[in-house]
Amino acid sequence: MKNAALVVFKKEMARFFGDKRLLFTTVILPGLVIFIMYSVMGQAMSSTFDSKDDVFKLAVVNMPASLETAFSPERYEIEEVNISQADDIKKKISDKEYQLFIVFPENFDENLALFNGGNLRENAPNVEIYHNSADVKSGNAFSETTAILSSVEEQLSNVFNINYAATPEDAARYDTANDEELSGTLFAMVLPMLLMTLMYSSCVALAPESIAGEKERGTLATLLIAPIPRNQIIIGKVMALSVMALLSGMSNFIGTMLSMPMLMKGMENDMNNISAVYYSVTDYLFLILIILSTVILFITLISIFSTFAKTVKEASTLVMPMMIVVMIVSFASMYSTEAKTEVVWYLIPVYNAVQSMIGIFSFNAVPVNIAVTILINLICSCGGLVILTKMFNNENIMFSK
Amino acid sequence: MKETKEILKVEGLSKTFKLSAKQQKIEKTNSKTITAVQNLSFSAYEGEIFGLLGPNGAGKTTTLRMLATLIKPNGGDAFIDGSSIVNSPDEVRGKIGFLTSELKLEDFFTPNFLFDFFSDLHKVPDEIRDKRKAELFEKFGIDKFAEVKVANLSTGMKQKTSLVVSLVHDPDIIIFDEPTNGLDVITAKVVTDFLLELKSRGKTVIVSTHIFNLIEKICDRVGIIIDGQMVVCEDLKTLTAKKNLEDVFFDIYRERKGDEV
Ligand SMILES: Nc1ncnc2c1ncn2[C@@H]1O[C@H](COP(=O)(O)OP(=O)(O)OP(=O)(O)O)[C@@H](O)[C@H]1O
Ligand SMILES: [Mg+2]
Repeated sequence: MKNAALVVFKKEMARFFGDKRLLFTTVILPGLVIFIMYSVMGQAMSSTFDSKDDVFKLAVVNMPASLETAFSPERYEIEEVNISQADDIKKKISDKEYQLFIVFPENFDENLALFNGGNLRENAPNVEIYHNSADVKSGNAFSETTAILSSVEEQLSNVFNINYAATPEDAARYDTANDEELSGTLFAMVLPMLLMTLMYSSCVALAPESIAGEKERGTLATLLIAPIPRNQIIIGKVMALSVMALLSGMSNFIGTMLSMPMLMKGMENDMNNISAVYYSVTDYLFLILIILSTVILFITLISIFSTFAKTVKEASTLVMPMMIVVMIVSFASMYSTEAKTEVVWYLIPVYNAVQSMIGIFSFNAVPVNIAVTILINLICSCGGLVILTKMFNNENIMFSK
Repeated sequence: MKETKEILKVEGLSKTFKLSAKQQKIEKTNSKTITAVQNLSFSAYEGEIFGLLGPNGAGKTTTLRMLATLIKPNGGDAFIDGSSIVNSPDEVRGKIGFLTSELKLEDFFTPNFLFDFFSDLHKVPDEIRDKRKAELFEKFGIDKFAEVKVANLSTGMKQKTSLVVSLVHDPDIIIFDEPTNGLDVITAKVVTDFLLELKSRGKTVIVSTHIFNLIEKICDRVGIIIDGQMVVCEDLKTLTAKKNLEDVFFDIYRERKGDEV
């Protein structure tokens, strides 16, 4: 005979997959929005940092002859000015007409020539560089110019080098972290928080509507007069909602992953070698089980709040505090990329999922801890189902006016 | 007179609701509780149509919701074909068809889908389901709308669909709360004719209404409820031997309430 929970599950699935709009707003749209948002952000950031084609306009007082070659003419358009024009030029920097105003002391070259490289000088000549930090271009010109002048200064007084490298590639040899560890650290820092937040918000997008919504519209009552145990209705619904939440969460995740390269393009770093290929099949299996059991737990908890509520709106308000707890617990992972090893920590729901993920991503997954986490999630979910059944059998909750 | 089985037996059923502050305001009362049904007893016999007649707020819907096991009584019990509504609600739900305006169908689905869905919940075998569906859909003219989403159906069509869906398991006891409310005369007639047909097939029908006409047309026996109490429970013919139902009702009502009518 047909199992009632399965019948309810199938009905929920028919609802979900039959409704193109619902499918679009919960599965396609979130991933798409994230992808577009992050890509645009990445683009914007890269255009902020990426100023390769800019030509900086500099107004300079007492330009030393020795430095003329340091500023390439393709990059720097240098205009020699008199100190008396200072106020005028500074105003033009504010107006973004010039990027920098540099004032070298008089006889800069002669002064340097007197320097013998040994003693530190108290009254070293000061180079004044006026810039406008509110203007991105001026800011870039400032940092580049400072870098040029610093390197000139270092060459003059070179006592020792630190991590000398002729090329950027060469510099990598000083970092003993290999690509695998680098990937692990980065993923362990970012992904648990991202995944937990996405999972929770996917659940919140679905469960209140399905439970409080049906209650509000009077369609749940129709289900309650069917001659089936109420826990069958609940199990059917929780399973269906978990599948939907996973799909929705997956869409979010794919959107995030696809846009990551573009987001990172904006940041100058050596992220090119970050990759997920270092994880084993077991790691992925652990991750999937953790995600699955956590989503079921989330759906069960949110369903409890949704059953309490009389309307979808009320349900959405009731689940907010839990959202904050999940966020705080997950954000904490950003500050420690090493998973707890003692098993007691894995007895705490939500926290255990975050710790397990950190463990998996940093290649330190302890099978016992993963198993405990999954078990705790499932036990808590079962407890939640018992509570839900009690609630479904309570007319004051189900039929309150 | 009739040698028929007592298929529904209501024994001293009572229901008191707690009132929230908001409800106290709406009901204009300072009391923290409201007694909707008080020590109600009556019986219905196999193959008859029993009418519960009463003014607004009399407790008709509350009584029927208790019989359908949606809410639990504070006192008393009722037995439907031997099953207690207090002790074996799941069993009761399998034996009755229940229809009230508070039970809605999901907008997204079609009558066809919903009929199958509820048939599955009632574990009706597929062949029987299809035969029953064809019959009922034709009788109520739903066949033309079988694939239209509930959201796009007219009020009458929605109500007909609700009715049909409440009968997927061909129950022997049918409990309908205000079955003709909100229906036009034509649709209402389809429904009342159908209730008579159910009766002719040996089913027991319990309806609640405040419409005298409906009771006179279809009921064998009638119970008059006022303020949650059964005031009269009588054979319709006996009750209306001398006066019509409306006059009988107002006599009783005046007797209880004084001249505030
Ligand atoms: N869930 C509830 N909470 C509080 N009071 C309720 C509840 N349900 C019904 N009541 C009250 O119980 C009384 C009886 O209501 P009921 O709905 O049973 O009357 P009715 O005879 O069906 O009336 P109507 O003809 O208006 O449908 C009313 O005073 C109503 O306000
Ligand atoms: Mg009513």
